[in-house]
Amino acid sequence: MHERPTVFPDKAEWTAGGTSRIPFLAYTDDVLYRQELERFFYKNHWCYVGLEAEIPNPGDFKRTVVGERSVIMVRDTHGEIHVVENVCAHRGVSFCRERHGNRKEFVCPYHQWSYALNGDLQGVPFRRGVKQDGKVLGGMPADFNVREHGLTRLNVAQRGGVVFASFDPCMESFEDFLGPTILSYFDRQFDGRKLTLLGYNRQRVPGNWKLMQENIKDPYHPGLLHTWFVTFGLWRADNKSELKMDAHHRHAAMISTRGNERKQSEVSQVGSFKSSMQLEDPRFLDIVPEPWWGGPTAVMTTIFPSVILQQQVNSVSTRHIQPAGHGCFDFVWTHFGYEDDSEEMTQRRLRQANLFGPAGFVSADDGEVIELSQRGFEQKPFHRTVVELGGRDIADTDHMVTETLIRGMYDYWRTVMEA
Amino acid sequence: MDNTNWQDAGAVDGLPEDDVACVEIQGREIALYTVGTAVFATDNICTHGHARLCDGFLEGHEIECPLHQGRFDVRDGKALCAPLTENVRSYPVRIEAGRVLVRMDSLDSINS
Repeated sequence: MHERPTVFPDKAEWTAGGTSRIPFLAYTDDVLYRQELERFFYKNHWCYVGLEAEIPNPGDFKRTVVGERSVIMVRDTHGEIHVVENVCAHRGVSFCRERHGNRKEFVCPYHQWSYALNGDLQGVPFRRGVKQDGKVLGGMPADFNVREHGLTRLNVAQRGGVVFASFDPCMESFEDFLGPTILSYFDRQFDGRKLTLLGYNRQRVPGNWKLMQENIKDPYHPGLLHTWFVTFGLWRADNKSELKMDAHHRHAAMISTRGNERKQSEVSQVGSFKSSMQLEDPRFLDIVPEPWWGGPTAVMTTIFPSVILQQQVNSVSTRHIQPAGHGCFDFVWTHFGYEDDSEEMTQRRLRQANLFGPAGFVSADDGEVIELSQRGFEQKPFHRTVVELGGRDIADTDHMVTETLIRGMYDYWRTVMEA
Repeated sequence: MDNTNWQDAGAVDGLPEDDVACVEIQGREIALYTVGTAVFATDNICTHGHARLCDGFLEGHEIECPLHQGRFDVRDGKALCAPLTENVRSYPVRIEAGRVLVRMDSLDSINS
């Protein structure tokens, strides 16, 4: 008898018992997707919203999202940062359309309900009715209490100039959420120096949001997919590397240090794409080691579920994952620098940022393979991926030839989703 | 030389008791407030949401804008609460022979 699989199964099966075979349904099922929003983005997790440097002045705001919910990160007149939901308390209008701006207050265009920058409802037109011929007509009921009708305010955590928020009022501290190991890499990159904003890249990737987390938990694809990296010596399979996770296996850091300048042909285990190629402008790789690195030349940190923190030599950025349905997400890169950067260093960071973003020499590849992965999942939802490089278990490693971080993330995913 | 500009704003008997009314003086909308026997005047347009203060609600010396519930002190035009960030212009008033007179000098000369 030939096996005739059901193409559209009712439920995701984890055939190998652990998490080394991930069912395609985990990327294509709308019910699972909504459950992910509920359990990862709206409860129990701190989600990235932005950098303090994006809203330096009182009244400055930035519109962004937590999961799929539109929120506004805003600095009030006292300098305090608030995150409020972009939904009017009256008729549910998502009233803010600008990405960035400066306001004294928020006013919904529909009926002009007006809110203070911290989300408190301030004014309701015709609350006390309209005067006509000596009488007052209409208005809100006498027991209408403005205090009960503010914007939804999120819990806010700030550290090192980075702002996280949560709809969940009962959150553990941000520090506990990261755990000591990942926190140490967070603090390495956000060490208290003021950040400077260099600019943004945005792209819409037609793939499941988890694929972006997996991409940065997969340290062995760069040498195979990103021929640019190999060609110009930024990646080698023998680079000294470590992979570390938090106790839940949800966050991770990929830490690598470029080897000495040995000739690439002597050590590479991956074929170089035309080793004779030269950059037209070698300044893209004008790398200058910085004291704060403390050794590693690249640390990529995945904070589950919402953000990736990038240090790739002199290029530093946050990459915000903004899910939009099971098969799509927006990916927003915020490139930054530090207050003590020289003008030369700022230019260097900007030039190296050309490796990243939707048209980057390296990152363009990732967006494309994620799209192609999603296509495969959609056409064959009964199937599963294989992530067994380095074994089937989950543990920190001192090399990069492993998919242990992906197995770790799905270990956490199963713990939360199957609870 | 007296260059003050007092304008007749109507009969004091014509104003509602402890309430607000609107008159037009020299092409400008002015809100007149009666508080007991006193009369005060300010610009009629709110400095915040462009609503008419004469459609608002007078409580003692405070006028509440009908749109967003900002409050001004009618005696000096001072903005008393959010969402207001700007005072409303106020004008000196005097009652003479049953008439309300409002001094419509330029802002500079009123303040000096």
